Amino acid sequence: MIQCEQINKSYPMGSGRKQVLRNIDLQVRPGEHIGFLGRNGAGKTTLIKLIGGVEMPSSGKIRRHMSVSWPLGFGGGFQGSLTGYDNARFIARIYGHEYREIREFVEDFTELGPQLKMPVKTYSSGMRARLAFALSLAIEFDCYLIDEVIMVGDANFQRKCHNELFDKRADRAVVLASHSPQLISEFCDRALVLDQGEGTIYTNVDEALEVYSAL
Amino acid sequence: MNSFAAGWRIQRRVIGALMIRELVTRFGRENIGFLWVMVEPLLFAVLVGIIWRYMKGPEEHGVSIVAFIASGYIPLTFFRNSVNRTVRIFSVNGSLMYHRQIKVLDFVFVRVLIEMIGSMMAYLFIGVILIVLNEFPIPADLGALILGWFLYCFFTFSLCLVLAPLSEMSDVLEKIMPVTTYIMIPFSGTFNMVSWLAPEAQRAMYFSPFVHSMELMRYGIFGDRVNAQWDVSVPIAASLVITLIGLAMCRRVRRELVVE
Repeated sequence: MIQCEQINKSYPMGSGRKQVLRNIDLQVRPGEHIGFLGRNGAGKTTLIKLIGGVEMPSSGKIRRHMSVSWPLGFGGGFQGSLTGYDNARFIARIYGHEYREIREFVEDFTELGPQLKMPVKTYSSGMRARLAFALSLAIEFDCYLIDEVIMVGDANFQRKCHNELFDKRADRAVVLASHSPQLISEFCDRALVLDQGEGTIYTNVDEALEVYSAL
Repeated sequence: MNSFAAGWRIQRRVIGALMIRELVTRFGRENIGFLWVMVEPLLFAVLVGIIWRYMKGPEEHGVSIVAFIASGYIPLTFFRNSVNRTVRIFSVNGSLMYHRQIKVLDFVFVRVLIEMIGSMMAYLFIGVILIVLNEFPIPADLGALILGWFLYCFFTFSLCLVLAPLSEMSDVLEKIMPVTTYIMIPFSGTFNMVSWLAPEAQRAMYFSPFVHSMELMRYGIFGDRVNAQWDVSVPIAASLVITLIGLAMCRRVRRELVVE
């Protein structure tokens, strides 16, 4: 279970502050799939970062009663100057996992081959997404935070994600920010629509998608 | 108690992983690899020592000038490198914030620790060689040398804890840093003993935590051949107060930090 209570987040902007999120209340229960919908800049990525503990809320409380992955998105989580293997080694170490097992899974899942010996900064966004997914799947979290990134992959990668995340790990919670109505309606049990910093939860995902498309 | 043990295990794991990561990114795996960490203090101490040896003769105030310079320059380069590497350390390491078990304090600590280990290796290396060449005395009181060194490191670490968050709050810090580290050299005890100074200057030196640690180290090396004066309560008190301020500032800056 993850509990977000009265989350506010603002950033300094000129002499004042820009309020990005206002009084967001949200619960993520074990095994539940929640979609985040909203236009560009609505605060989806910010909320995912707050849930993942990458940034701190300006006010409000986030309680995590299950293990939560780092946000899997376009950037972040990797050291660009290190190789794919070195990043895997580092992540294995800090999460207390056996590097050998993780390496096998990463090689198998990413299909990057010798590219894993290259610095991560030379990777395309699709390749980074493969690496990030592979590592977080190998570590096994109770809840996965996914920011858009499934969509950058090719068909093969998307199939693998479905297989590993939504089939083999169907008992895990997923928070998924996406602009793809198809993805959200197919996999999510609930959806949070973000607009002007306010969040509204819909237990009917189709209703949420209608609201979102009208924004 | 169990949660404490688990926390400690995670802490050790994180520190170890960060150290390896830092060494690999900074020095790579080619040629001498992480041994590079001791090359810079070594070169500074040796080259400046040689220059002074020819400018000022073999001894000053009755101690070997090469030994005196080496024992001053190694702590000084440690301090300068630690401080320079702390500037903007939080924004530079944004990617680490993605992993909740890594705290901002961990990477300040790791950077200082790596500099500290490198300097100690350089110290040992240079000391042994100079002792063989008869340019360096066998330390008169190894305990005093080590205590002085750790006090010096503790004070440097406490300064880094303040400078790291401060450099995120204001760009000015980064610009005034080089001149500040240069101006502080006379107040660092690097090139002279307090007893060599005029009485007014001696009184001013009492307020520099560096000087007390340096004097203690110099006593540890040269023993009674130098007139060393120190008061360990000055560096300890200063370090504790600055550490507390630094911890509070790190916490505040972490709350506001924008991670890409």
